[in-house]
Amino acid sequence: MTVIDVNQVTKTYGDLVAVDDVSFAVGRGEVVGFVGPNGAGKSTVLKMLSTFALPTAGTLTVDGLDVVEQALEVRRRIGYLPGDTPLYHEMRVGDFLAFVARARGLRGGDLTAGLDRVVDLCDVGEVTHRRIGQCSTGFRQRLGLAAALVHDPPVLLLDEPTHGFDPLQVMAFRDLLTELKSERAILFSTHIIQDVEAISDRVLIIHQGRLLGDGPVASLATAAGAPGAGLEDTFARLVRTRTQPRGTGGPDA
Amino acid sequence: MPETGAPSPGRLSSTWVVTARELGSYFDSPIAYVYATAFLVLSCGAFMNSFFLASVADMSAYFESLPFLLILFAPAITMRTWSEERAQQTFELIVTLPLRSAELIVGKYLAALLFYLLILAGSLPLVVMLVWLGDPDLGLIAAGYLGAACLGALLLAGGVFVSSLTRNQVVAFVLGAALACLFVFSGHAAIVEVVDGLTPSWQVGTRLYESVSVLPHYQAFTGGLVGLGHLLYFGLLSGFFLWMNELALRQSRM
Repeated sequence: MTVIDVNQVTKTYGDLVAVDDVSFAVGRGEVVGFVGPNGAGKSTVLKMLSTFALPTAGTLTVDGLDVVEQALEVRRRIGYLPGDTPLYHEMRVGDFLAFVARARGLRGGDLTAGLDRVVDLCDVGEVTHRRIGQCSTGFRQRLGLAAALVHDPPVLLLDEPTHGFDPLQVMAFRDLLTELKSERAILFSTHIIQDVEAISDRVLIIHQGRLLGDGPVASLATAAGAPGAGLEDTFARLVRTRTQPRGTGGPDA
Repeated sequence: MPETGAPSPGRLSSTWVVTARELGSYFDSPIAYVYATAFLVLSCGAFMNSFFLASVADMSAYFESLPFLLILFAPAITMRTWSEERAQQTFELIVTLPLRSAELIVGKYLAALLFYLLILAGSLPLVVMLVWLGDPDLGLIAAGYLGAACLGALLLAGGVFVSSLTRNQVVAFVLGAALACLFVFSGHAAIVEVVDGLTPSWQVGTRLYESVSVLPHYQAFTGGLVGLGHLLYFGLLSGFFLWMNELALRQSRM
């Protein structure tokens, strides 16, 4: 069942084409990795799906809801971790999670249960009284993830979720996504190839705003003319064979 | 299995969630305590000076100095409201929460207003002192406080709006102070005279005084006159700035 549907979406910033006629879908129970170099357009697609940015052309739906026309309903259904994990550094960890949970409509027993669940799931319980600005990068990343999960959303949009993680935290994150994926549609962006190969059921390769490939790593490798190749080689081959030189890329895509 | 993520809370409840976070953030920073102390020292100092010189048991000196103090203090309260969200990139976080833009704007505005009212309440010991020492007109004092609340509500609404136009707190402060200057000084007799003198055929000073200036409306309160027209002036202008803030937020989604 399709949960995330991106249909012929283009996003421009003035003369810059950040996303160029991109289409793909993500179903429930799928973990899809969005891979591409910095400025490829990954974050811009996630920003549009999160309702933060509007598409210039095309349509995006989440659970059948249009992200432009039904933005509020879409926001209730998504858990979104923006790139660079923006957090209120002066707030205490516990207060921040409680604020996000309340803003997401959780009250009373649901609030307590939601907080207990994500504190345990993302391992952020040891320093709930510490100010966020005093926490490590990896901890802040886990906190951002906990905030995205606190309302138990059916759709997860994660922009560079493993940024700042040490190898053990990366492994724990992979386990977490495996645990979460059966009930959710998960789309995450990264430029770390190993993350995508280890976690994703399917890979979207984007370069200069254009989608170059969509499928499991093995299928993409075959399509690129290198059966059995890894994602890194496949990515390089697709970029070489399917792109023409042009000036694209959003301001912080 | 998760279906919709979370229930939809009431609008008042969502607004209060934002207000509570914002209000907490004021007190998380030492700057808030510096503002409060400076404001109380300056406003109460002006009052005490006049009180001992005139030996009259009223609050007029306090209320007279307030609009001029608020030219700096109102934008100091509101300058970080939106600009800091943009600078810290938490803007993306907060506008993708399932909150209406009106709930975000009113929530932030209420926090600024409550913070100001708390500082204003810090002058209440002066009233207690006046009651103890003399026989002040408490109705007049109450009307003065209502005027002070309305004046703050308007200048804070303007400050919250200009904060949504920039990611730089200093720029937000300067724009807010300039806006407050327009509202306050356009009601000052000397300024009106000078501006009228510069534009004799248009009488711009008088026109600004009659249409924009906050002072005639504020002075009606401090003189004991609580009129519907004056309340509407403050209410409509504050609402106008909050609506402008809504437009600015909508524009930022493009």
